Amino acid sequence: MGQREIYGERGSVLESLKEGRTGEAIDHFRGGLAAYLLLLPTLVVSLVFLYYPALRAVELSLYQTLMFGARRSYVGLGNYVSLATSSTYQWSVIITVVFAAIVVVGVMGFSLVVSFLLHEIEIGKSAYLIAAIWPYALPPAVAGIVFLFLIHPTIGMFTSVIEGLTPLTVDWFSRGRQAFLVVTIAVIWKQIGYNVIFMIAGMNNVPKTLTEAAELDGVSRWNRLLRIYVPLISPTLLFLVVMNTIYAFFGTFAFIDLMTQGGPGGATNIMIFDLYRNAFEFNNHGLASAQSVILFAIVSVLMYAQLRLSDRHVHYG
Amino acid sequence: MTTITLENVTKRFEDVTAVESIDLEVEDGEFLVVVGPSGCGKSTTLRMLAGLESVSEGRIYIGGRDVTGLDPKDRNVSMVFQNYALYPHMTAERNMTFGMKSAGSFSDDEIERRVSEAAETLGIGDLLARKPAELSGGERQRVALGRALVRDPEVFLMDEPLSNLDAKLRVQMRAELAKLHGELETTTVYVTHDQTEAMTLGDRVVVMNDGEIQQVDTAQYLYDYPNNQFVAGFIGEPAMNMVGVEVEGTDGETVVSHPGFRIRLPETDELRRFDAGRAVLGVRPEDLSIVETDGDGADTFVATVTVTEPLGDSLLLYCEVEGDELQVQSAPRSAIEPGDPVTLTVDRDRLHLFDRETRAAVYHSDGTRARTPEVTATAETDD
Repeated sequence: MGQREIYGERGSVLESLKEGRTGEAIDHFRGGLAAYLLLLPTLVVSLVFLYYPALRAVELSLYQTLMFGARRSYVGLGNYVSLATSSTYQWSVIITVVFAAIVVVGVMGFSLVVSFLLHEIEIGKSAYLIAAIWPYALPPAVAGIVFLFLIHPTIGMFTSVIEGLTPLTVDWFSRGRQAFLVVTIAVIWKQIGYNVIFMIAGMNNVPKTLTEAAELDGVSRWNRLLRIYVPLISPTLLFLVVMNTIYAFFGTFAFIDLMTQGGPGGATNIMIFDLYRNAFEFNNHGLASAQSVILFAIVSVLMYAQLRLSDRHVHYG
Repeated sequence: MTTITLENVTKRFEDVTAVESIDLEVEDGEFLVVVGPSGCGKSTTLRMLAGLESVSEGRIYIGGRDVTGLDPKDRNVSMVFQNYALYPHMTAERNMTFGMKSAGSFSDDEIERRVSEAAETLGIGDLLARKPAELSGGERQRVALGRALVRDPEVFLMDEPLSNLDAKLRVQMRAELAKLHGELETTTVYVTHDQTEAMTLGDRVVVMNDGEIQQVDTAQYLYDYPNNQFVAGFIGEPAMNMVGVEVEGTDGETVVSHPGFRIRLPETDELRRFDAGRAVLGVRPEDLSIVETDGDGADTFVATVTVTEPLGDSLLLYCEVEGDELQVQSAPRSAIEPGDPVTLTVDRDRLHLFDRETRAAVYHSDGTRARTPEVTATAETDD
């Protein structure tokens, strides 16, 4: 095996030099240099805006801060200890995990059914598709406000309908469970469009003859979805599980901020919102940094677990 | 008894007519091959039989039962697809059993028995635990056949099942399919664009073009007595030579006349009735032969060789005669070179005349009556 096979482009530079072909070596090096130059903008942006701030956040989490970090004192793991012993924070973690689980399962399940119906329907397909994707086109803040007014306890469009048809009293400004439910539904509703786009694309990639073979075999629609489509689009589904998890943990901030402010009574106080309040309302940047590090760790572990588990269940055609 | 009847079946896609008023009868246990060029409507016809395409007009009967509006699953047919359509995430065995298990009308023992029978018939017993990606093209095709077999359908529908295989494997699978049909005797409709497959496999062959049936007959009959110029050109490799000629009747003798040759035609009633004057002469390359005379004899003429193609078992010559090209199949290992003049003669019993306008066959020189398309579409088999 030559250097090229082992070390790629750089290997071939070495190989050329060894064999005394300096001109060729320079050509190879120029080729490699061009590649690094092309990567440079992305590398710079990543370093400046992602990796450096991330490292600074880890550093900041070891300090107690005042005035946006202008004054700070080293407390070691003090922030982490106080978080671990705070019942408010413990509750926030539990709420967040439950919230994320419901959001991921809800979004995926609902989107799968919607996508399958869209895939099967023959008349008016485009109109239905646009209707399904529409909420995704809204920025989260707008979506949050739209949903707020749809189901506002006093002026919501759907409020009187729900109260008329069910024995429920819509009062999610003061009832924790209702608030949690409303925010969860809003967050799921917003994300369906994104999932439908990918799922429809995945289903359209399933060879038509497989559907026809199943039709000839008398496989029911439901079985066709669960036994044929879901396994065949499993790489897409894995991608969506990851994206939806990130969305549930990080992308739902606007909904909480606009609709419930983490309340009532901390019922919707998810980690990303709690973190924001500590940082920007209570100016406790050290503690907020520690929270962001913990949030990052939880999501990382989840990603790792999802990817490891999926090795056994995802079918790459 | 599973016969298939298509009555006046038409399929339109918006303003395109894919299949035009087809009438066809498939007999019980018959292996019927539908052949034609791309876009001739053969696959659409098969898909209408399967229920995968709706019928715009007409009725389809399977085993005497009107299935025109039925779902595919209620027709009791199995289909083998060109790309096999195996579920890539399932093992070969699961591919074969999935449909039966989903349908729910078979017991586990019954399914197991049928799978092992089918696996034995097709020689895929040791492949059952593998997924399609771990199988070769031929093995996949066997599994796809197995999936069709286990359901014990009334009708097999095959949509170019051998097209994705390499040439050698295709010949091998062709023989196996013929053997399998011999054992099972299930009514089979097989679609292909390959005329060799059609000729070798079919009890009868349906030739289609432009959404219409051109001729239905046994392979040999199609070859010997094509209904029209399309069938004559499509069936047979190399294709039949077609040359525009004048038909002249003098002294009780009919002659086809071309600037490069004159050939006397054996008299038949049809020829006596033919008075169009101009026609297209059809003669197959193997019915032209080289003679060792100087070209003055009756029914011989001189042509110039332009291209030679050695085929191993024969030598195919492209000859030019007064602006027209004739392909001639001659003996192999001859020393003929491009540019050489050759003296040709024809087998006078193997000549065909086609109408220049309608392109229909008007005369076969051995006296067999040229059939009209209306007659052949519903003709009885000759065997």
